[in-house]
Amino acid sequence: MTAAVAPVRAANPAGLRSAFRVFWYGGLMSYGMLFNWARPSIYIPTLIGGPTFQLFFFAALGSYATDRSAAYFAIGNAVQVSALAGVFGMTMAIANERWFGTLPAILATPSNRVALFAGRFLPFVGNGLLVSLYAFGVGVVFLGVRLAPGSLLVAGLALLVTVFSCTAIGALQGAISLRLRDGLFGANLIMMAILLFCGVNIPLADLPGWMQVIGNLLPFTHGLEAVRQAAVGAGLADVGGLIGLEALIGVAYAVVAFGLFTYLERGARQNATLDVR
Amino acid sequence: MTLPQDRTPAIEAVELVRTYRTHTGVIRRRPLHVEAVKGVSFEVLPGELFGLLGPNGAGKTTTIKMLITLLLPTAGTARVMGHDVVKETTEVRKRIGYVFGGDRGLYDRVSALDNLRYFAELYGVDPAHQKRRIADLLELVGLTGREKEKVEGFSRGMRQRLHIARGLLHDPEVVFLDEPSIGLDPVGARELRQTIKGLVDAGKTVLLTTHYMFEADALCDRIAVINDGRIVALGTGADLKGAIANRTIVEIETFGVAPEAVERLRADRDVIAVNAEERDQSQILLVQSAHGLAITQRLLGLLGETRIGKVVAREPTLEDAYVHLIASTSETDGAARAAAVSG
Repeated sequence: MTAAVAPVRAANPAGLRSAFRVFWYGGLMSYGMLFNWARPSIYIPTLIGGPTFQLFFFAALGSYATDRSAAYFAIGNAVQVSALAGVFGMTMAIANERWFGTLPAILATPSNRVALFAGRFLPFVGNGLLVSLYAFGVGVVFLGVRLAPGSLLVAGLALLVTVFSCTAIGALQGAISLRLRDGLFGANLIMMAILLFCGVNIPLADLPGWMQVIGNLLPFTHGLEAVRQAAVGAGLADVGGLIGLEALIGVAYAVVAFGLFTYLERGARQNATLDVR
Repeated sequence: MTLPQDRTPAIEAVELVRTYRTHTGVIRRRPLHVEAVKGVSFEVLPGELFGLLGPNGAGKTTTIKMLITLLLPTAGTARVMGHDVVKETTEVRKRIGYVFGGDRGLYDRVSALDNLRYFAELYGVDPAHQKRRIADLLELVGLTGREKEKVEGFSRGMRQRLHIARGLLHDPEVVFLDEPSIGLDPVGARELRQTIKGLVDAGKTVLLTTHYMFEADALCDRIAVINDGRIVALGTGADLKGAIANRTIVEIETFGVAPEAVERLRADRDVIAVNAEERDQSQILLVQSAHGLAITQRLLGLLGETRIGKVVAREPTLEDAYVHLIASTSETDGAARAAAVSG
């Protein structure tokens, strides 16, 4: 440990260029560093095997118990499984900083916190899309799902926005987990809530009023409805409002999540929480 | 070391206080206020290697955490390179490197290289120089060739060296080393000391906390001894040793010494202090007196039937001075410490 080290030219860590690099490269790197499932032995059973069985289970149960087609349940669950990566992944991507003991080192850097936080969304939105596209493939091949060719792009946009908003609620759960730990317990609750309140297997209109209110406040509900309508040929003019509302809800969750993150960071300095003591 | 008129200190702490709020009980929660740091003041000059010594819970890490902006002081002020640690956090963070000891604090599932690349981004290291900088630092800490291995397979020493490389990524002006040699083997610890010396030679200001007295004695320009949240001594290693310069240390190796026998030694009129260290099969009694070996026979007589091994006399070391300072201030502050934890 004796070699000489040349001085380094530092960029401005608070500058735009650095912020973009933290957002883009930092965000992509966070996937391998913090996502517990980012290894084939866990990824395949959890994000490929689990969704496959979920699709077949609800398609079989739903078509047996109701007069709706298996494709109806397949579409709902093919979109819902994207939340698996978004909610759990984003929860881990934030809460695991505390688990690894890296949080003090992160908080001691001058990095742009918005870029640091927002960058974490990137890989999990991509991952959610991938899982959902796989599930749609299963639905098309085995469960009779048919998508109107002219509305594929609209359905894709609705799916992207839905995955983002699910990742945003995962970010909120991640920020909560920084303080309360046991974040995966909360992530499981969110997954169940999405399954129950958001029209995945039971249309929102068939739910009691109070459940509809909750469904409308959660991410996913409007995005899924947009995907369902696009699948049967609705254009952007028809579902643009739903997609916009889903995006708005996603952004709202993301802003609240970031607000909580910064509040907790300030609180950690004040009250010696988050293991910075 | 006094501060020249025209030089701004690299680190300046003025009456720093930090109180932690906690509670006892589950149903009837009773709030507690624990004063971890009770008015710490010191200055570190640019290019100086300053040691902060103290027992566990003395307030060393809390003091460092305030200086690196991770904790807000309850009272007092601190500045690093002229920037206030409360109001100018970004400016302070740009200029400091923080290295803490232990196994945690790294991303285990990715390589050492990815750990460094990630933090290079967070510190805004110029992308054009990032690769070279990381390679240089890997060379500096002896991890060249191991950089593509996952950190989860690293030994404690390798992790520690990676911590150091990470803390230096952005070429900080001030480096805080919080017990960096903890858990390192003797060879690793010696290499680390060379690295720390190299940092000072390169013009860095270093604040080091350590439990190893010989390390502090060998490295530090000045040392502050902190006990129970207060600085109880500040000076060069020679200054601190000077406090007990007129004493001789008699080391008595014993086997199964009874506490009463140790108390008899302490009560002897010529004995200033007695500290006992447990070894594998024996206990080493370190007896401080002004009379050296002249009173050895009497000391051995006070130990009664205790089986005695080697007996040697030597000059006091920094460790003896440290133990004396901690013991004397703990006795003096015993009542005050009890009062510091209040509901």
